[in-house]
Amino acid sequence: MLDTLEVTQQVIAILNDVLALQPDHALRADSLLLGSIPEFDSMAVINVITALEEHFGISMQDDEICAATFDSVASLSTFVERQLGQ
Amino acid sequence: MTGSPASTSGLPFFLPTSSGQCFCIYYAPPAAVALRGAILYAHPFGEEMNRSRRIAAVQARAFAAAGLAVLQIDLHGCGDSSGDFAEARWQTWKDDLALAHGWLAANAPSPVSLWGLRLGALLMLDYARHAALPVERFVLWQPVLNGQAWLTQWLRLRFAIHMLDGESGNNHVHGTQALRAELAQGQSVEVAGYELSPALACAIDAVDATTLAPAGGEVDWFDIAGNADKPPSPATAKIITAWQRQSIEVRHHQVVGQAFWALPEITECQALADATLAVFPAQMS
Repeated sequence: MLDTLEVTQQVIAILNDVLALQPDHALRADSLLLGSIPEFDSMAVINVITALEEHFGISMQDDEICAATFDSVASLSTFVERQLGQ
Repeated sequence: MTGSPASTSGLPFFLPTSSGQCFCIYYAPPAAVALRGAILYAHPFGEEMNRSRRIAAVQARAFAAAGLAVLQIDLHGCGDSSGDFAEARWQTWKDDLALAHGWLAANAPSPVSLWGLRLGALLMLDYARHAALPVERFVLWQPVLNGQAWLTQWLRLRFAIHMLDGESGNNHVHGTQALRAELAQGQSVEVAGYELSPALACAIDAVDATTLAPAGGEVDWFDIAGNADKPPSPATAKIITAWQRQSIEVRHHQVVGQAFWALPEITECQALADATLAVFPAQMS
């Protein structure tokens, strides 16, 4: 089972890959995403969801895909962790 | 980049099938290079097919130059083959692969390996379970692991633009569930310009790599990420472990590159090309 730190690190790695962020845009657990990172548009959200699902082997339901989930690295990591715990 | 010799340019032709004809390209090794193996390729689906065409063609030429004959087939309802996507069926695709496999074995007599990208890799694994001909090796490029998850991701494309409108509980909620309900009632749904039949959706929903451990042949599994030091993802590791418990020989390769099947820009992935070629032994044993 992955711990919180590992999940957060893997979420950050996926965001870096999918959004192709520049190195000076280093993400941390408290980094804000939606509305703060210009690369984070609706197609990017779709691609991030797909990458998270394929990486962790989880499945996001329609009603779980909301702005609050994508608010920050921390909110996204918490969501993934909850899915993994189920 | 080294230029490809003209002798490894592909030979296009149509392969007759029970439901029409499939467009194929055959890449034979140049005359001076001994044939040491053959490879059948299964493409991914939807936009991923278009976006990966170039990399697949470049890889096929590299294989051919190294003595590995390659057959690429556009499956029924895809690319330049006959039929609309609405008529495509999972079983028809497996039948197409069986015909292509037979054609390749007859025209390039040597051990045949199967190579697939994304959903094409999952299709290859499912096809191989009942393949009449032997399989030497499986080359899986970023395989889709679960058909149900893939289908949901694909249905979700319909709602991309409204993905994050407002908060939870807004009107786009249950979008993919509504589309699934239409499919369950026997209606086709259209997503991103592709009309998906209930029969195809149902078949894709049922495929799961966990239960598709390839009985014969070694497996070389390639995942692409921005960082080569990354271990296999938890989802990948789970399936590889399950397969290894069934004494399947699986090697996982992590290569550096971008998700070229998802990118609208034309990209290359030299690390993937090199690593894939390297799994084929230089001499036939």
